[in-house]
Formats: sequence, C-alpha cells, structure tokens
Amino acid sequence: MADRRRVNGPVGATIPPVFEDEEVQTQETQRVTRSRAPNGIRKMYLKTGVTPSASGSAYLEIETSGKDGVSGLKLSCTVHGPRSLPRSSPFSPHIILSTHVKFAPFATKQRRGYLRDPSERDLGTHLEAALRGAIIADRWPKSGVDIIISIIEGDQDRETSGAQGDDTWDMMNALSGCITVASAALADAGIDCVDTVAGGVAALVKDGGETGTARIVIDPISSEHESIEAACCIAYLPTRDEITNLWFKGDMPDHDMGIYSELVQQGIQASKLANRVLVESLGETVK
Amino acid sequence: MASTQHVLLSPAELAYLHEALSLTPPIRPDGRAPMQFRPLVAETEILPGTNGSARICFADGTEAIVGVKAEVERTRGYHGDEQEEGGEEEEEGGEERREGEREGQGEWVELTVEIPGYRDDDAGTAFLAAMLSEALLADGRFAKKLWISRRFHWKLFLDILLISPPLSYPLPLLSLTTHLALLSTRLPRLKSEGDEDPFFDDDWAAAPYLYPQGTTTTRPPITLLVMAVGRNIIFDPSKEELAVADVVLAVSVGEAATNSASTKGKGKAIGGMDIDSAAAQPGRSLRLLSVRTVDPPSRVTPPGMPNATNSAYGVAVSVQKQPEARTVEAQAVEGVWKAPRGGAKPAVMAALVQKVLERGGVADEVLDALEAVELG
Amino acid sequence: MPITITAPKAVRPSYATADNASDDSGSDSSSDNGADLEGDIPMTSSSRRKEDKSYSIVTPGEVITDDPQWMRGHGTYVSASTAAIVSSVAGTITRTNKLLSVRPLRARYTPEVGDLVVGRIVEVQAKRWRVDVGGSQLASLPLSAINLPGGILRKRTETDELQIRTFFAEGDLLVAEVQQLFSDGGAVLHTRSLKYGKLRNGVFVAVSGMGGGGGVVRSRRQVWTMEAANGAGPLDVVLGVNGFVWISKHVETPEALVAETKSATTGITNLEESVSTTMYSSQNDRIGIETMREIARIRGVVTALVENGLRVDEDMLVRGYHEAVEMALLSGGGADDIYLGGERGEQLAAALTGV
Repeated sequence: MADRRRVNGPVGATIPPVFEDEEVQTQETQRVTRSRAPNGIRKMYLKTGVTPSASGSAYLEIETSGKDGVSGLKLSCTVHGPRSLPRSSPFSPHIILSTHVKFAPFATKQRRGYLRDPSERDLGTHLEAALRGAIIADRWPKSGVDIIISIIEGDQDRETSGAQGDDTWDMMNALSGCITVASAALADAGIDCVDTVAGGVAALVKDGGETGTARIVIDPISSEHESIEAACCIAYLPTRDEITNLWFKGDMPDHDMGIYSELVQQGIQASKLANRVLVESLGETVK
Repeated sequence: MASTQHVLLSPAELAYLHEALSLTPPIRPDGRAPMQFRPLVAETEILPGTNGSARICFADGTEAIVGVKAEVERTRGYHGDEQEEGGEEEEEGGEERREGEREGQGEWVELTVEIPGYRDDDAGTAFLAAMLSEALLADGRFAKKLWISRRFHWKLFLDILLISPPLSYPLPLLSLTTHLALLSTRLPRLKSEGDEDPFFDDDWAAAPYLYPQGTTTTRPPITLLVMAVGRNIIFDPSKEELAVADVVLAVSVGEAATNSASTKGKGKAIGGMDIDSAAAQPGRSLRLLSVRTVDPPSRVTPPGMPNATNSAYGVAVSVQKQPEARTVEAQAVEGVWKAPRGGAKPAVMAALVQKVLERGGVADEVLDALEAVELG
Repeated sequence: MPITITAPKAVRPSYATADNASDDSGSDSSSDNGADLEGDIPMTSSSRRKEDKSYSIVTPGEVITDDPQWMRGHGTYVSASTAAIVSSVAGTITRTNKLLSVRPLRARYTPEVGDLVVGRIVEVQAKRWRVDVGGSQLASLPLSAINLPGGILRKRTETDELQIRTFFAEGDLLVAEVQQLFSDGGAVLHTRSLKYGKLRNGVFVAVSGMGGGGGVVRSRRQVWTMEAANGAGPLDVVLGVNGFVWISKHVETPEALVAETKSATTGITNLEESVSTTMYSSQNDRIGIETMREIARIRGVVTALVENGLRVDEDMLVRGYHEAVEMALLSGGGADDIYLGGERGEQLAAALTGV
C-alpha cells in the first residue's frame, strides 16, 4: 500500500511549464488540407528502362500535394529474369516469383535498418499476390524472376509533425506505388502478363472535427486529413475487370457493406487512373 | 509459407477437386457443408505463468497454443514539459477525444507467430502476424485497454505457437486461439491512482479481465478464411481445397461495441440502443476490420495434359500434330486441370465479404461457439 | 451449426489398465491410473516378464531374453556385455521360428518386397523418378520399370528419356509394387502391370501406415472394387500398404476387357505386359454427382477410422461404409449428408467396434 499520509514528492523529474506563443500554436495546428478533387489522384511520373543492367526496370515518382515540385513517393524497381533456377531447386512448371520491397534507410522520418523488417516483408507478400495474378506463369517453366523494389523516398512530408499522419496508412500508398512500378518493370522485361496491373488506394476520411462527416477520397495522404477511418488498396486488371489483390483495413460501421463496396469501387477507380499513366508510359518507351 | 508453398497434387486430383467443389452444393473432400468448420477442441487458461492462454486443436493433430504476457512499460513521449491538453495530441492520429480519455498506441502490442519448419523471418509468417495484429488494432480500442496512466502502460506480448507443422493454412486456427487467449487474459488490479508509479493488487483472483465478462462488452476480433470456387463460397478450407481456389480472402470481423458511442448511434442512450439493435434483428452487429487476399496456391499447380495432346496416350505413339498453341490456351477441356490466371471479379470478392458479415451468418455462429467455451 | 468447439476429453485409459487388472482387480477408473503408474516404475520389467507371459509391449533398452538360442531381428540389438537381446524400439514382440523382432507401435513405413504402395512423384531425374511413399527414403522408379505406351516391348530409347515427364511428372500419384530393396531402406518400384499406373478420377487421403493402432495394415486384398450405395456405381479403393489411400470411380478400360477375353480365348496376350491407353492420362472421365458423393463418404470413413484408432482394411472399410450410409439415412440430412467428422466419426467407430 502506498503511503498516503505523507505528502510525497513528484515521482518523476519535473520541469517548469513553458507556455507557447500564440503564433506558434496557430502555426502548428495549421494543416495542409486536400485541394484535389476527391476522385483525383496525384500527378505521377513513370519511366521504364532506367537501369540498363537489369532485364527490366521502372522508376515512379508521385508528387506531394502540398507544394509544387516536391515529390512524395520515389520508387525504383528492377526485374531480374526470367532466368533458370539454381540446380538445387525442384522442378517448377511455372515461373517462380520472388519479390523484395525495401525502404531505403532514409526513406522515412524514422530511420529504417538495412535488414527488412516485418512490415516490408508483408508488403512483399502483398506485391507477390498482386503480380502473380497478372503474369502468365506457365509460359516460363523452370525459371525464376526477382522483383526488387527500393523505396527511395517514402511519402512523408518533412513539414508535418509526427502527430500528423499515420505510418500504417502510408503503407497502403507505398504498396499501390509498388504494384504500379513493378507492373511497368515486368512489361519492360518482356515477361508475359495477361494485363497491366496497377495499384489504387481509396480511403474513408473524416475532416472538420467532431461534427465532420466521413467521405471517400482516392489516393489519400494521411497528413491531409484529420483521421482516416478505413482504407483499401487494390490491384486491378482493367481489361479483364479483375482484382488480383485487395487489402482493406479500418473500422467499418456495423453491417455497412455499402460503404465497403463504395471504397472498393473507388479503389478500382484510382487503379484505373494509375493504369492510364502506366500504359502511356509504356507506349512512350518505343518513341 | 502456406500461401506460396508448393502444393504437390497431381493434375487429375486437382481437376477432380475443382469439379466436386464447383457443384451446387459443393462436395468437399471431407464431406463438410460449405460453411462448416472442422471440429475443434479448445481450452483456456492452460498456462499458469501467463496472463492469459488458450489451446485449440484439430482432429488431425494440428494444435495452436497462445500465451499472453503483460509487462508494465513507461510510455514513450511523455515528458514533464508537455501541456496537459496539447501534448496528448501526438499519441494517435486525429481522433478527437474528451479530456481524460484513455488512448493507446499500436506498438503496445507485440504479436509473434512461430510455426515449426519455417524461418522466423519467413514472409508468410510475417504476413500472418501482420494480419492478426492488424485486426486486433484496427479499431484503436484495444490499445486503450492497456492504458494505466499517462506515464505508464501495459505492454502486451502475444506469442502464438503452432505445435505441429501446418497441415493446412493455419490462419483461422491461430486467430480463434488468439481470441480465446485474449478473452481469458487478466491484468492485475491497479491500486495506485493518477500518475504515480503504478502499484498493483497481488491477489490474482481480484485481477479483472482485459475483456470484461458479460454480454454487453466488445470481444476480440476473429479472422476467417473464406474461398470461392466457381459460384460456391467455402469456409475454413483445407489444404487440398485451397489448391483449387479461385480466390481466397482472410476477413477479420469484430463485434460492434454496444456500450460505446459508435459512429451511427451517437447521442442515443446506451441501453436503448442495445435493446434496439437486439430487438430489430437477431444476431450481433459485426464490424468489418480488415480484408486481405491470400495468394491462392492454385496458380502454381501443375497443369494437366488433355488426352488429345498427350503423346503418352493412345495405343500407338503416333506423332500427333500439335494443335495450335492458341486452341490449347483458349479451350478448357473437361476433366483437365488448368491453373487459374488473372484475379477475381470484384463482385465475387464482395460476395465473400458479404457472406462473412451476414447477420446470423458464419461469423456470428463462430462467435457464439467461442462464447460457449468455458474460461478456466 | 457451422462450427463445433468441444472441451478436451479425458485421456483414454491406456495400457496401464491391463496392469491394473493383474495388480489389483477392479480399480480401473481413470483417476487411479496416475497412482498405479507411479507404482509401476520401480518394478523391473524383466522380473515382470517372468510372471506375466501375456505382457508383450517392450520399450527400448528392455531385455527381451538372454537365452542364446534366439536370433535378433528388427527393432532389437545385442548388448555387448551380456549377449542378451535387447529391444531398441517400443512395440510388440513377434517371433518367427527362432527370430525375435520388435514391431514398433508407430513408425514410418518400411517397404517390403511385394508391397502394393501408392506414391507421389516428387522428383524427375534423367532415367528414373523419385517417389514419396511415406517411408524414410524416397523410393525410386526406374524408366525401365514401367510399361511404355503402346504395349510394345522395346528398349528404352533416348526419346523416352527426353519425354520422361509425359509419363509421370512431379505431383502425379501412382500405384506401384515394391520390386527390390536397398540396405538403406530405399525401395525400387515397378508398374509393370495393368493394375498399376497413374491414378485419376478420385481422391487421395494419407493415413499412417503399418504399425499398431490405426492405419492401413497389410492384408489379403489391398485393392478392390465395391458397389457404392445411392446409385453411384462401382468404386475402386486402393489401400497402399504405406498408408496412402486412393478412392476413385471404377473405370473399365476397353483394353482390359479385350485383353481379358483374348487371354481367355487365345492366351497369347500377356496381361501383365500389356498397357492400357489411359495409363498415363491426366484427364478425368466424367464423374456423376452421386459417385463424387460416395467417394467423399468413403474418404470420410477412412479418416474417421484413423482418428478413432481403428485399423483400415477391406473388411472395416466396407462395414464402415455401409454403417455410414445407414447413419446418413437416419440423420436429418438424408442420404446426401456425407459428413463424418467429429462426433459422427466417433459414433461410426463405436458402431463398428460394438462398444
């Protein structure tokens, strides 16, 4: 039992309070808000064939919405293969896909190590599922292909403080970028695919404090919104109208399949927009 | 891991399985109904050294044990110089909160999955762990339960152990075991007040449950594995069934909190709302927490050879003219297995999720059955 | 109810009950077992053996006999100091003339020449296949041990070697016979008969093979065709001695019929050397819904038998199948209800053992 009769001193060290200036406070609470239409994605730059030594490669850059010219997400993807499997591995009637997603140590606010952490492995698994549906695996028996993605810069604005945004939602944006760039690199490497696959993210966001209503936006930036209730990342094959990977996460109000379906629909929409860029960029390589 | 592992089944077996599962109603190899689970044997509080534990096993000997351990940890980011109100903002994104409300962080929960025969850093194991912790933390309410004071919190370690190498994709087994372990988890009763160093009651019998017993409270989420073959939706698929799946989803659902203000029922009296929803429709109201596609192993299965193109078929090994590659690709010959290509239609995926969420549906009954498991 | 969750049951009374009966008759309640077992430990088993001849479970390190007239067989070794025969596994003693061997209670399959096994191809090499038969070693199936399509006896050419995967590829299931054994436990298989070859039109289920308790046991017939209920037609059941079971629709190959009539009339065609056209096919025939349902039911019977520790052989399986059909008719689901897991399986096992 704690001694309650004595007046104990404070347990931890105490520091006299420092009062903030009025100005500072207003500056801090100021938040970059979304200026794009809810159904518009950010501008992206995609170029294939950037790494000559690899069989296929692509580079993807997505702008931040805050300022012009400052890029948010920078991804580089290299594809090595198809190449024959090592002698020790068993026969496979299909191409063996292996995906590596790695954040550069300096990609995010919090420095990341050189070893892949569980979240990066998780991204790799998602990416693998998304791509496996797109490639025609039985065209390349007894061969393997490695897809290596480095996230050179994560989608995190230096201007925002740690309080704004949430890492977990940024992972979805990163994944959708990974899917798009990997699809471009696969096409660059000349590996047979049924369709180009692109990633898209849609989120249910809430703005405007307690009275605010939730709305669905595509390609969300977590720091632009007060809270993200739910989000989903979709890998979609536009000409076949098929989903190869779906990752939904969040807190859905009870039994509301309506909102969920709408989210998926919007995710598909975002993916279609990204796919347009992808197809155009592949066309450009010929020129 | 299981999602990507090489399943060795012959094309003839795959063709047979696919055909049997595409029938209406499907004929599953073990005779189960499409929504039927494998029978489970479950017990809780099996490990006295933990805060909570559970064990579930299948008849085939696959067995999972979950132990929950809690440690008191100093909350990072609390410094004396923070303002009372503003300082708390940094802990969790956005959500508006009333003064004095508890808040939690995702990193207060550490979930590890150990599967014999797989490396610790195996992508599949990481995927399983991410999926299970994602469901647990999705609503942000779970971490709040671990709040002790502004300076301290509980750090919860959930260690999930599979005893035998998995005979099927172990996700539902692990999820249900985790659910039971969390239900049986108790944390020592706090005796100290406010922000002083935490001080606990050493009487274990007085320790409250993390999820208070009773019907009106929330319960841990469950993750169900559901797959589609043709038009059929099949729950708790076995390894053979997964090998012919068109699409596999892992769907996590939680029970909607009836005692806290949910987004819709804000302003209504708590009791009134409870009765309302209960009276309106039977079954509990469920929240969708997460959905993930699991890469079905069907895409890497060996394709069968139709008799027409099989050079080892027929009495005389005549050199048959190889049909054009185009016809081989386009035509599906009955009784010959072809690995599926591409993804799944959005409507199929939506149907899978809908099936899980149905009022009085599978998730509901699974939660009922889990509730019936006696604690202790 | 889609899910059943039950509390764990108390363990079945083990071998200790037999001891109870001899030690102090009457106390066989499971609560007493613990105490009795403790009482058992100090007793040396060799002294026990002399009193009780019926006691047949030996454990590793237990002296079976020090009589020099016996020869040691599998599962035993000779201790260097006393020259006694000592058991090296836990199991039952079997005597064959003067040969003493211990058959383990539970072990992986050890091939014996002449065994009919069901196996799965795991590796294709230049001139042979490596087959998983559930044993400690992969069995091998040389290219020279299969019948080539066409039924012509000819030398295996390089062409055959190149297209080895068209006969059997990775993952394929086959039924074969053990032809030869290596000293390291590896087996050589052959499929030189119409009965053997690639399996199709059915389902596979693996249960533990030879040994005590449940599983497939060596018996008179490992392969038979049975008439299924509910108009499903004849079904083939292959119980591999290695514990791999194949249940499929019975297909009468035209070649087999022709060969049979020929051999009956002229006797020229050697049935053993001929090969059916469908031997290497991976295309299933059309299978009716009823047939699929009964195939699944038999599979359910097999797993129910194994889960309840019963042996799997023709007699048990056929009886179990008829019992299962009866049970389905009596249950609410009607004949379409083929589920035999959990309690249903226990019910079935109880009906079969008459407990």
